[in-house]
Amino acid sequence: MDLDDALKTYIIESRELLEQMEDALLRIEQAQDDPEIINAIFRAAHTIKGSAGLFGLEYIVAFTHVAESVLDKVRGNALHIDPELVALLLESGDHIGTLVEHAAQGDEPDADSERHGAELIARLNTYLGHRDEQTAAKGGMPVEHAPQIEREGGHSVATDNWHISLRFGKDVLRNGMDPLSFVRYLGTLGRIIRIVTVVEAVPPISQLDAESCHLGFEISFQSDADKATIEGAFEFVRDDCLVHIMPPHSKVAEYLDLIRDLPEEEMKLGEMLVKCGTLTLDELKKALQKQADWQRPIGEVLLENNIVRPEVVAAALDKQKQVKDSKTVENNLIRVDAEKLDQLINLIGELTIASAGTALVAQRAGISELQEAASTLSRLVEEVRDTALTLRMVQIGGTFNRFQRVVRDVSKELGKDIELVISGAETELDKTVVEKIGDPLTHLVRNSMDHGIESAEVRLAGGKPAKGTLRLNAYHDSGSIVIEVGDDGGGLKKEKILQKAIEKGLVAPDANLSDKEIFNLIFEAGFSTADTVSNLSGRGVGMDVVRRNINALRGSIDIESEPGAGTTIRIRLPLTLAIIDGFLVGVGSSSFVIPLDLVVECIELSEEDKYAAEARNYLSLRGQVLPYMRLRDLFDVKGERVRRENVVVVQYGNARAGLVVDTLQGEFQTVIKPMGRIFSHVNGIGGSTILGSGEVALILDVPRLVQRVTTQVEKNGLELA
Amino acid sequence: MAKTILVVDDSASLRQVVSIALKGAGYDVIEACDGRDALAKLTGQKIHLIISDVNMPNMDGITFVKEAKQKPEYKFTPVIMLTTEAGEDKKQAGQAAGAKAWVVKPFQPTQMLTAVSKLVLP
Repeated sequence: MDLDDALKTYIIESRELLEQMEDALLRIEQAQDDPEIINAIFRAAHTIKGSAGLFGLEYIVAFTHVAESVLDKVRGNALHIDPELVALLLESGDHIGTLVEHAAQGDEPDADSERHGAELIARLNTYLGHRDEQTAAKGGMPVEHAPQIEREGGHSVATDNWHISLRFGKDVLRNGMDPLSFVRYLGTLGRIIRIVTVVEAVPPISQLDAESCHLGFEISFQSDADKATIEGAFEFVRDDCLVHIMPPHSKVAEYLDLIRDLPEEEMKLGEMLVKCGTLTLDELKKALQKQADWQRPIGEVLLENNIVRPEVVAAALDKQKQVKDSKTVENNLIRVDAEKLDQLINLIGELTIASAGTALVAQRAGISELQEAASTLSRLVEEVRDTALTLRMVQIGGTFNRFQRVVRDVSKELGKDIELVISGAETELDKTVVEKIGDPLTHLVRNSMDHGIESAEVRLAGGKPAKGTLRLNAYHDSGSIVIEVGDDGGGLKKEKILQKAIEKGLVAPDANLSDKEIFNLIFEAGFSTADTVSNLSGRGVGMDVVRRNINALRGSIDIESEPGAGTTIRIRLPLTLAIIDGFLVGVGSSSFVIPLDLVVECIELSEEDKYAAEARNYLSLRGQVLPYMRLRDLFDVKGERVRRENVVVVQYGNARAGLVVDTLQGEFQTVIKPMGRIFSHVNGIGGSTILGSGEVALILDVPRLVQRVTTQVEKNGLELA
Repeated sequence: MAKTILVVDDSASLRQVVSIALKGAGYDVIEACDGRDALAKLTGQKIHLIISDVNMPNMDGITFVKEAKQKPEYKFTPVIMLTTEAGEDKKQAGQAAGAKAWVVKPFQPTQMLTAVSKLVLP
């Protein structure tokens, strides 16, 4: 909030109040003693005065103060209101209006209005004098009347003095506290520009107790000291003196700056105001007490008591809001019960099937409008499905970061210096997958640290830095997510693995194995290469469990290793477990679904190619070798062969293969239904799904098929032309 | 004329330090070693401020202040009580006796001077 804006608000507010005041004054002649009306008039004057003080409009304060004093007497029934007084008050109201307009234009009252004001003050004072006559003596105190505060600097923002209001309690003198001594001490902190004694509380001389203090002071004070120091001057009278310190305008700007520069953290309003110095701890304590009584926001309490300038409070509130806003941007997340999400995904699965059914019926009905509507529906269902699936996606970073601790602890345990390097932490994957990947990853990480990374001496001898590095990396790759656990250790020792496998009877002694196959032997049940079993990796849970876990997630695992340079274990997982884009193919009367992400292209298998392929066991795809498999043969599908077959080229990881099918039936949103246990031994099938027609289609386990096709080719040797 | 301050404490060293500081700032100082001694030294002369310890032999500070306030000459004399941090109940008793200003021990001479000057400037 700008100070000028606040001033504008004040001007508008004052005009309204003055109108209300005039209105009430005109009515009061009819409704003589209605306390509500008198109160309204008083309140208007009081508010105008109070706010004027905030803007340093001392000339308004000074004049309005006198009018207010008169009104206070009327309110307290000490003064009877008569037409003459009403006329005077109306005139005073007009004068306040004139002063407010001066403030609006940003100038000071001219000589004319000053004279007029002085004249009005004199007339108003006669009303105040009614009672004052008896107390005129006032114990010989040098008393200045309030109007003489007048303006200092006058201009709305020009006042650069502290304003200190003091109201001493009755007992200060009895307590040995001389009000004057505090004022004198104040003089040592700066320059007292003007001091006005407030004598309103002095009782008539007959009731005057010379030992009691009835005085208050309004002090205009120039000082570089901060608010706490100034308040400190009144330390000893804090309990029986009302001290009210308003900072000068230049300070206000300083406070605003300080508030703006406060750190971006959540703070209570009071805290902020104390931090920037506009509020002292003591003031805050008192305000908080009041707040407890009033049950209102602390800001309102502070403003009500004029302890802090409204613009400072506004700035603090703004800052608070800003901090809160930036916080909410950070935490713009809602927690949802995972079960609800699962339920939603299930429903969307059903919706997908229903939508496919609708599309089928529409096609059969042959009504073009219906077909159009159905296709719109399926498109929307598809979008809903994708969005719903992303709801379940979480970043893998959280899982990765857990390993910082694991690596730290384990490297201590092993006495190795190992650093964990994480990349691709922002890669997203299905929450279910994330949950299930933790254990296998832990095992792989420990294994790498234990067996992969060598001791510092060995590393140094091998010309490597003493500090080992473990890498966790994740990235998306054609519809799957790949998670890599890599180390810069010694690499896998082929001979050792092979020897051990033969010892354990896992492979025949004369088996001819590729590098990959040898590496993959470590995933076989009951395999352990380490000569000594440490408590880390030798806990009976072998790498075979890791592979089983990964397979259960429809993923695959594979190893790349280079002697002396390190090992990288690559886990490949499907992005989601629930619904996929499928590619529907037909073989005989059966339908199969191939995950669309894995389909590279479709080609027609011509008669000649067919014979050529059958002769050499692979297809030639634009001159490239493409191992292939006939689904009809694989699943032993009965029925007549079609003349024109098709090849769906699929890719998994780096391997490609061709699947020969009868017909291509196009894209299909596939809700994956798990296969019963009874089918778990069936190779090449990953699940089932329900077609729009209600028929069941099997989902191909492409990774398995690709592996099978490629190894077959590798084993048989390529009969390349 | 310099303002006169009565310093009451059973520790001679404390009295000494305080009085050096006060004299340096331009006050006159009268020293007393306990309440009874102090009361005996209040003989009607103008005292501008009393600084008194609470826990003293013969007569404690609170009794002393109560007694001093009975004398018309010292009814309005401001009092600074010296206290240890733990003495909250003492503080209330002292305030009831009319000692509103408190300085917590241990204090630096400058702290004492600041407190004094809030009540009586030299």
